[in-house]
Amino acid sequence: MIGLGHYLILSGILFAIGIIGVTTSRSVLRILLSLELLLAASNLSFVTFSKFNGDYAGQLIVFFVILVAAAEVAIGLAIVVLMYRHVSSIQADDLKDLKW
Amino acid sequence: MSLLFFYFFATMLVLSGLVVILAQNPLYNVLSLVVATFCLSNLFLLLEAYFVGIILLLVYAGAVLIFFLFVVMCLNLNNPSAFQNQNRFKISGWLLGSCFLASFFLTTKSYLLTRSLEPSSIRGTIEAIGKILFTEYVLPFELTSFLLLVATFGIVSLAQGSLKSR
Repeated sequence: MIGLGHYLILSGILFAIGIIGVTTSRSVLRILLSLELLLAASNLSFVTFSKFNGDYAGQLIVFFVILVAAAEVAIGLAIVVLMYRHVSSIQADDLKDLKW
Repeated sequence: MSLLFFYFFATMLVLSGLVVILAQNPLYNVLSLVVATFCLSNLFLLLEAYFVGIILLLVYAGAVLIFFLFVVMCLNLNNPSAFQNQNRFKISGWLLGSCFLASFFLTTKSYLLTRSLEPSSIRGTIEAIGKILFTEYVLPFELTSFLLLVATFGIVSLAQGSLKSR
């Protein structure tokens, strides 16, 4: 039988992969993708605890997280496109100016 | 049987997550995140969270990640130097990740000793989720729609500003 520990450890591994991605990537696009991995890992935790505690609130929070992530991705990608127009690169290191 | 499915999707999830952060081609990064989302949605179905699993597949894999793909293709990153990792923080990043994983294992291990491990019988069907969403959680739901409206305004003003400056 699949227990609580299986899901929790899987979500921990996924969260660690996301942390490594955010800290080691230099391209803004990959940092955004790693943020999505972090959100996915926490979503898995929420659904797991919702199932094992018998409470629907966890699944509702996952629903809200998906909606907020959609807004975040839209804004983030708009900023990436703007950055590519200004410095013609999507490396985070190239963002040296405080004002365009 | 469900254990077999769990291990299959868990392995696929971790492998595609590693491809997301390690592959050099941006298209591979985005497409492997689609695979990861598909595996995650299957894990949600194993946990009997049907509504959230399907929403994840439809909204996330279907709309958000395809939007990512669209932007990657729009940017037209043909030159490999535009998307290379310089690996300046590689060692410290991996160290941070493994430290997090180690402390997470220890905390989870001690936490699992203190509670029962039996899953409850709840099923996240549309009926159950909708009932609680439109009674108890109706205020956050409306606030989320406001958030999406504000995000739309933000994108429009960002695009407008860049058009004016050209």
